[in-house]
Amino acid sequence: MEILQLIQSNLLTPIVLFFLFGIIAARIKSDLKIPEAISEFLPIYLLAAIGLHGGLEMRNTGFENMLIPMLVAIGLSLLFTLNHYQILKRLGKFNIFDSYALASTYGAVGAVTFSVGLSFLKTQGVTSEGYLAAVLAVLEPVAFIMAIFLTNMAISKQIRIKKQSFTNDSKSDIDVGIDETKTKLSKILKESITGKAIVILLGSIVIGYIIGEDGFSSIRIVFDEMFTGAIVIFMIEMGIIAGQRLDDIKKVGVFLTAFAIVMPTFNGIIGVVVATLMGLSLGGSVMFGLLLASASFIAAPAVLRNAIPQANPSLYITSALGITFPYNIIVLLPIMFAISSLLHDPEGSIDLFNYGLKDLI
Amino acid sequence: MKLYPVKLLTITCEILAQKNIMEILTKNKITGYTTYEVNGNGARGVRGQGLQNEKNVKIEIILREEKLQDIVEEVSRTLFANFAIVLYVSDVGVLRTEKF
Repeated sequence: MEILQLIQSNLLTPIVLFFLFGIIAARIKSDLKIPEAISEFLPIYLLAAIGLHGGLEMRNTGFENMLIPMLVAIGLSLLFTLNHYQILKRLGKFNIFDSYALASTYGAVGAVTFSVGLSFLKTQGVTSEGYLAAVLAVLEPVAFIMAIFLTNMAISKQIRIKKQSFTNDSKSDIDVGIDETKTKLSKILKESITGKAIVILLGSIVIGYIIGEDGFSSIRIVFDEMFTGAIVIFMIEMGIIAGQRLDDIKKVGVFLTAFAIVMPTFNGIIGVVVATLMGLSLGGSVMFGLLLASASFIAAPAVLRNAIPQANPSLYITSALGITFPYNIIVLLPIMFAISSLLHDPEGSIDLFNYGLKDLI
Repeated sequence: MKLYPVKLLTITCEILAQKNIMEILTKNKITGYTTYEVNGNGARGVRGQGLQNEKNVKIEIILREEKLQDIVEEVSRTLFANFAIVLYVSDVGVLRTEKF
């Protein structure tokens, strides 16, 4: 079958091989490690490259048709976060903090996954809409903000119920609690918007848009030709970190392991289908699906550890980095590419569309 | 040489709790401190491997005894339950007491 072939050939790409190599290096307890400064630098570099490409593409294709995909992406991300929460809380029996933290980790986007997706499309000789980089930037804080808001609401509700059983005139305390929630939220909103990921991404989009192809040609060697190479180096680091966490996966439990695989598949395929319906290109639909499928593992701990400190960080980091990330780049990416190719088949009418879906799910 | 007795408060915690500690210090009008990134092992497992956000930080604050109580109380109330954190106080001597 075509999908299996795609997965197989994807397994033998440098990105995946170096990731697996990193896992092995960690398992045999090698002291191999990427110097700290480089592993901190690479996400910034990747975001800058993504932003520049996005800006360039937007200059060529315009961004007036960006609004609808962006709003749809935000809507889906919020919807998925709520959906994750219900599944985790009701079926997984996680406590409210872990449920919200995990729900938003999976509702948020992964910039590294996004870079791998871009590189995958490059290998396949397919382009994607540049404005998806802007969607990535906008989507980054959305799921967290909602989860944090809902967690705080739930906490103040609990406090209110407790207070009411003691005394009746505790209104001022509740108001104080709500005010605290508000200041906390606005602080988190400000911090995530001024956070390095969004700043470098938006800055590069603007610069890419201004400089255009002419200006870009002088930096092409760094931001275009070296892109996949840089991801490969980062993949060693990701592999090592994931390898060190393999033992933790046992602690994550069967339910969360299944969740970490089933949920991205579900979200990603819906993303591809919705993007196709909105008229995105073959590559654009894959990237749209990937945005919704990916889980955040670099931004998530930084945001959630402060906002929902009660949640257990090893749950959301391990499942996002140790399970979902490898699954996404090795298996789900080719699957989404195959689905998107099928949906974008020139002979593909609506009939084929439905048939194809039935066949794949 | 005359040494004046003051307190040294040392807090080793997750790097992501550093901001919370700094806020508590600012609230108590403490402006001087020293931080360094550290690795270690403890109740929450080996810390400092891999992701930058999972490192630990060690914060040293020299202060007068009067301010110690409030800070220690607030740190333990707000952070002990959810973060990897260790806190201890020692007696130290300084030459220029007016600095603290």
